[in-house]
Amino acid sequence: MGQKNYIVITNNPLVSEKLHETHGVVYKEASYEELLTEVRDRIHEGHTLLTHPLSGSVKPNETPYKSVLISSGKGEIDERSLSIIENAIQACRKFEDKTGRYSARVLKDFQLIDWTLLESGLASADAW
Amino acid sequence: MRLEMGHIYIKDIQFASESKIEDGILYVSEEAVKAVALEDEKIKSASFDIARPGESVRITPVKDVIEPRVKVEGRGGIFPGVIAKVDTVGEGKTYALKGMAVVTAGKIVGFQEGIIDMTGPGADYTPFSKTLNLVMVCEPVDDIKQHDYEKAVRFAGFRVAAYIGELARNLTPDETKVYETCTIKEGMEKYPDLPRVAYVQMLQSQGLLHDTYVYGVDAKKIVPTILNPTEIMDGAIVSGNCVSACDKNPTYVHLNNPVVHDMFEQHGKTINFVCQIITNENVYLADKMRSSDWTAKICKMLDLDGVIVSQEGFGNPDTDLIMNCKKIEAEGVKTVIITDEYAGRDGKSQSLADADAAADAVVTGGNANQVIILPKLDKVIGTLDYVTKIAGASEETLRADGSLEVELQVLTGATNETGFNKLSAR
Repeated sequence: MGQKNYIVITNNPLVSEKLHETHGVVYKEASYEELLTEVRDRIHEGHTLLTHPLSGSVKPNETPYKSVLISSGKGEIDERSLSIIENAIQACRKFEDKTGRYSARVLKDFQLIDWTLLESGLASADAW
Repeated sequence: MRLEMGHIYIKDIQFASESKIEDGILYVSEEAVKAVALEDEKIKSASFDIARPGESVRITPVKDVIEPRVKVEGRGGIFPGVIAKVDTVGEGKTYALKGMAVVTAGKIVGFQEGIIDMTGPGADYTPFSKTLNLVMVCEPVDDIKQHDYEKAVRFAGFRVAAYIGELARNLTPDETKVYETCTIKEGMEKYPDLPRVAYVQMLQSQGLLHDTYVYGVDAKKIVPTILNPTEIMDGAIVSGNCVSACDKNPTYVHLNNPVVHDMFEQHGKTINFVCQIITNENVYLADKMRSSDWTAKICKMLDLDGVIVSQEGFGNPDTDLIMNCKKIEAEGVKTVIITDEYAGRDGKSQSLADADAAADAVVTGGNANQVIILPKLDKVIGTLDYVTKIAGASEETLRADGSLEVELQVLTGATNETGFNKLSAR
């Protein structure tokens, strides 16, 4: 699966900065949950989920950042992708939003962690 | 394969001019352990402290907890592929220093967590309040990248643990336990009437501060494979993760994995403990497919009757857990899964982010969202600077009287998914 076969959906400025020149990146200024909703909408359009939306042990709403890989091609709605993203959105609501009170340095650390999680997905995606 | 585990009980740790173990007391030369830590030029300074059970001490942010061990007979050495050269371990004779741990702490990222309280309500939840802890806090050189800092602290912990373990090489153990496994054919002949059971261990493998290493190999790059269960007792699996500390396995837990030890306890009595199968928890969904396919395939090829599956973490690995469970059951092999729960502060939300009817035998390590008040303690080893930013902490975290209102998530090992915790319904 080369770079043309997937799209990165992200609200992480670091991911956008690192990938926008070489990869298909959709950058949204959105909350964690809004970002997941954006991914869900695209799954309804027929894209397939390629990385897990709850990657990482930093919990939803503790980190404001999330980056997800989906297929660039569209087909029939993928039921498994839909079930995973719906469960992730549900799980997201269990955690209270703490994202508004971090210093710039801590936000940079959250961006880095999200990037390393995505990077491990990219390594697998690019191996195809 | 036969491994003799010699247990040497440590009754106290004291700083002294010379490192040695005498009459159950571990004397540590601060200068010597500092030198061991500073062998890595990425570490600027290392300070050591001792925390004893019952003392008014809070250790945070904890990175890893390690039990010192030394290989005295047989192939290889402790932490193969990491500290010792690559060689298959798990046979011969190994000594372990019981009742103590090397705890590494260091602020690698700004939101880092991991608390060990040596007294109070927090101490009831973390198993490492019961060990004598030699705590190492490492400061990195300036402008270091987080990846390099993480690796430097991880390796420094193993080097110090190996140094301490080496002090026990010529001692006589207080107690010896023997762990013996059979080959596949031997097991079938010896225990023809016992159910064939294996342990499927899922390892964190997602990225920085979310990784595990097997014989030095990054677990996200492995395909599921088989271990002789005694291999873990020599440090075949080590931790590189510490975020959301309640349900991550520090290296101490890998060395002392209670699932493995309990299964050995039943081996030859109620079950034939065939082997340990390890698999990963990658973020890429096709990797999850491949790994769960392979895990189920191995279970089938080994003609297993049942497996115990333990998870590490929450969310992303819930999907691996359910995929493993479903596919293994589909091969006609019964499963019991061990997980923990994020059921919300009131415990009313759905516990896992994935589910399936095949997962009908579940053991839980507890609800990580459960709120706990940790009273102010007299001494902090490490830093509380970022404690309000940690997982499970909220705006009210640091209260006027100095106590902390947090979720169990922050306590190292509180809802451990191998059962290495103190929460129990028993």
